[in-house]
Amino acid sequence: MGLLESLRNSFSRRSDAGGSRGDEDLFDDDFQRKLDYLAIVSRRVFAGRMRAERRTKKTGSGVEFADHREYQPGDDFRYLDWNVYQRFDKLLLRLFEEEEDLAIYFIVDASGSMAFGTGEKLRYAKRICAALAYVGLANLDRVCIVSTSDRVMMRMAETRGKARIFKVFRFLRELESAGTTDLGDALKTFVAQHKRRGLAVLISDLYDPQGFERGINVLRYNKFDPFVVHVVDKTEEKPKLFGDVLLYDCETGDEREVTVTPKVLARFREEYEKYIHDIDRFCATRQVPYVRADVSVPFDELILRVFRRGGFLR
Amino acid sequence: MIFAGLGFAQLAAIFGIAGAAVVGLYVLRLRRRTVAIPFSPLWQRILKDKDATTLFSRLKRLLSLLLQLALLALLVFALGDPRAAATLVKGRTLVVLVDASASMQATDVSPNRLEVAKNEVKAMIRGLGGADRMLIAQMDAMVTPLGPMSGDTSELERALDQVKATDARADFPRALRFATDTLRNVELGEIVVVSDGNLGPALDASGPVHLGDDKLSFVSVGKGKRNVGITQFSVRRYPLDKSRYEVMLEVTNTGPEQQDIELSLLGDGNVVDLTKLRLMPGERLPRFYPNLSGASRTLEAKLANVDGTHDELPADDHAYALLPERRRAKVLVVTEGNTYLEAALLLDEYLEVTQVTPLDYVNKHASGSGFDVVVFDRVTPATPPRAHALYLDPRGPGSPVKVDAELTAPGFDKIDRKHPIVRFTALDDVNVAHGHKLVPDVAAGDKIVGAFGGTSPILVSGSRGAYKFVALGFDVRDSDLPLRVAWPLFLLNTVNFFTDEDARYISSFRTGDVWRVPVSTQATEATLSLPGGGTERVPVHEGRAVYLGERAGFYELTAGDTAATPEQPAPISGANKTAFAANLLDAEESTIAPVPELVVDGKTAGKVEGFHVGVRREIWIYLLLAAVLLTALEWATYHRRITV
Repeated sequence: MGLLESLRNSFSRRSDAGGSRGDEDLFDDDFQRKLDYLAIVSRRVFAGRMRAERRTKKTGSGVEFADHREYQPGDDFRYLDWNVYQRFDKLLLRLFEEEEDLAIYFIVDASGSMAFGTGEKLRYAKRICAALAYVGLANLDRVCIVSTSDRVMMRMAETRGKARIFKVFRFLRELESAGTTDLGDALKTFVAQHKRRGLAVLISDLYDPQGFERGINVLRYNKFDPFVVHVVDKTEEKPKLFGDVLLYDCETGDEREVTVTPKVLARFREEYEKYIHDIDRFCATRQVPYVRADVSVPFDELILRVFRRGGFLR
Repeated sequence: MIFAGLGFAQLAAIFGIAGAAVVGLYVLRLRRRTVAIPFSPLWQRILKDKDATTLFSRLKRLLSLLLQLALLALLVFALGDPRAAATLVKGRTLVVLVDASASMQATDVSPNRLEVAKNEVKAMIRGLGGADRMLIAQMDAMVTPLGPMSGDTSELERALDQVKATDARADFPRALRFATDTLRNVELGEIVVVSDGNLGPALDASGPVHLGDDKLSFVSVGKGKRNVGITQFSVRRYPLDKSRYEVMLEVTNTGPEQQDIELSLLGDGNVVDLTKLRLMPGERLPRFYPNLSGASRTLEAKLANVDGTHDELPADDHAYALLPERRRAKVLVVTEGNTYLEAALLLDEYLEVTQVTPLDYVNKHASGSGFDVVVFDRVTPATPPRAHALYLDPRGPGSPVKVDAELTAPGFDKIDRKHPIVRFTALDDVNVAHGHKLVPDVAAGDKIVGAFGGTSPILVSGSRGAYKFVALGFDVRDSDLPLRVAWPLFLLNTVNFFTDEDARYISSFRTGDVWRVPVSTQATEATLSLPGGGTERVPVHEGRAVYLGERAGFYELTAGDTAATPEQPAPISGANKTAFAANLLDAEESTIAPVPELVVDGKTAGKVEGFHVGVRREIWIYLLLAAVLLTALEWATYHRRITV
């Protein structure tokens, strides 16, 4: 290999793997105006269900009846249901749902693959995260953001109130792609660190060599409500490759020689579609809300689709 | 197998180096372009199937390398110019004599015979065998090889393109001797004559040509026979009226059919005569055109068919002649009075006569310079004049010849009738009362033109220094000569003899001969203006410009004192110019009927054989073709992703 070729290849690797643009303009005035509009729209979409408080599964001192349970020594007599004692001769305690603020966790995948190509996937993920976080903050929910790769990389402490959106912006601006993807391990750490359950919005390209299912299952098994936003770039489905090439995985560094022919490209497209379909089916069968975010689709249109898809807010 | 190009060792070395380079390039070719991807497991699923075919892929790559090496081997092998040993040994050596004589301009075949001949030779060139060698020579009045002996087709075709038709006849014996000399000690030598066959016998002053072991082949060109040509053409001025002239011309029908022709005579470019003639097959028709006028310089004869068509050889339909240039001769007559002399000199208007007495001559014109001719009538100066001189009855020590004993009633018993001063005269019965015997200086080259009784010269010509003289040994008054027509003729002949104005028929030069044109200057080189335009430098030897003329038409020779170059000819002023004409005038060359068979040295020339047009028996061509084919195959398979 000639010197020129080596330089060209090394440059090519750098540009392909880390081509993210600067994030100074990521949350500009125009973006913030859109957030206000989205916050209003989200209220209209979920009218009657959003009163600045959320019903939780916790039972306690709320006013809404939730369930009965048997009396245990030490329980407060005030909650004994005497009507039931009269009819069934059993001491049952009335349980009421507690009303509390909702915890929303945004898990942003910041692995190397998110910066592939022009780096648009990571930028798009940040904007989605910011928009949804604003809606959450505007509804007085507790919002927490973590970035992951093969581990939890950065964490923004829980916060609430619309005014904290700038904190969100600052945090997201500092996110940079690095490392390999291992959502399973990373989210195990996450659930261990966050005892309070809530809505876990996973924003990722789901390029996990260990399998995208692991991460989602970790959330499910630990009683988080997972919501998957799958960031995709259509150019990855139709790569501009031809001839003898050395494929280089920008995350793992794996290399593979291949001669790309139209036939090979067609098979790759089939495989890619199958992969997307697997994700879709996995989420559907497990009642995990799933939204595919194509970076070529305008950002606000995608957010509306998230609202309509439902499940993001209860 | 023999390598006619590079040797085996050299080829092996080249293949080794180039092969290593190819393998190196091949290995480099395997370095692939690195392309980043976001998620390799997707590709791995596809490439699992590919892994199964890795061995086959390697084999394909190996096949590709082998293809490259095979390509290289073919090219290197071609560099060696491999030939079958038998082919090399049996290579022929050919001398092709292309007839470029006048008859090859015949248009009975399109466009003309010479072009057809050249096409025949071109076909032979393209059919040359790998070991064959050929030399192409133009055969006309001489033989001119147009290139070296070569097997290179492009070189031979370039040589063939140089063949140009001439207006001369072919010197066949000379061409054959050249060919046999070229093929001396050469195995499988072959002479190929490409001609219409009108070459005459292979015989010259050295005897018949012997071909030896050389094979003779003949390619006959042409099919027509119909032709009428001008075979003689000359002109003369009349001695007594030089403004008029007489033309002698001969027309020959060399074809097998009767021909009606129109003969035009042009003087200075204008038609002076037009005649219609009918010629029977093979007829030679001489024609005299007396008493013509209207031309002062050039005369041309042209033939055309009455029906407006052209015959098949235009080269002999046009003939050229130049009339001798006329100028006024200045004549000084030194006499006490001679009416006969004065009357005779008045006959020619082109004479400028000055008459003086002997005393005036001594006082004013003693040198005689400034005149072309001085006539001394019964006067003999002490010193000879610086001009040509006619002495009538010379006496004394100033006489150019010794005057001896007196003769009584002499006569012209013996006359040199070929001498120009007595042409057209009848002097045999001239009566003379008395005269003197003249004694010529034989050592000085004097000639006795007329003598009495065989031993007493009475009319002598010669030269002294740069000037000619004529001496008549009697006083014309003592004879009846002035009463005869011979008298003015004698005087005018003598003046013409002195001034080189000849009353003979003026013939042109013949094309195909070596011309020796007199040049009066001391120049060693002269410039010759050619009929078709352009000039040529010709050498001058012993006062004559030497040139092998092969074109009919008008020529002009300029022999200036200033050295001239083709780019800058000698200046006209002060230059010595000579004009002359040249003609084919050859009845044999005008006979254009092609000869189907050629016999030389008792052997009949065979047909040309062994030339296969478009097929070269050289292996390297096929190797190159194979290489090109392989390249195309590799290209096609590569782009169809078969060998990648």
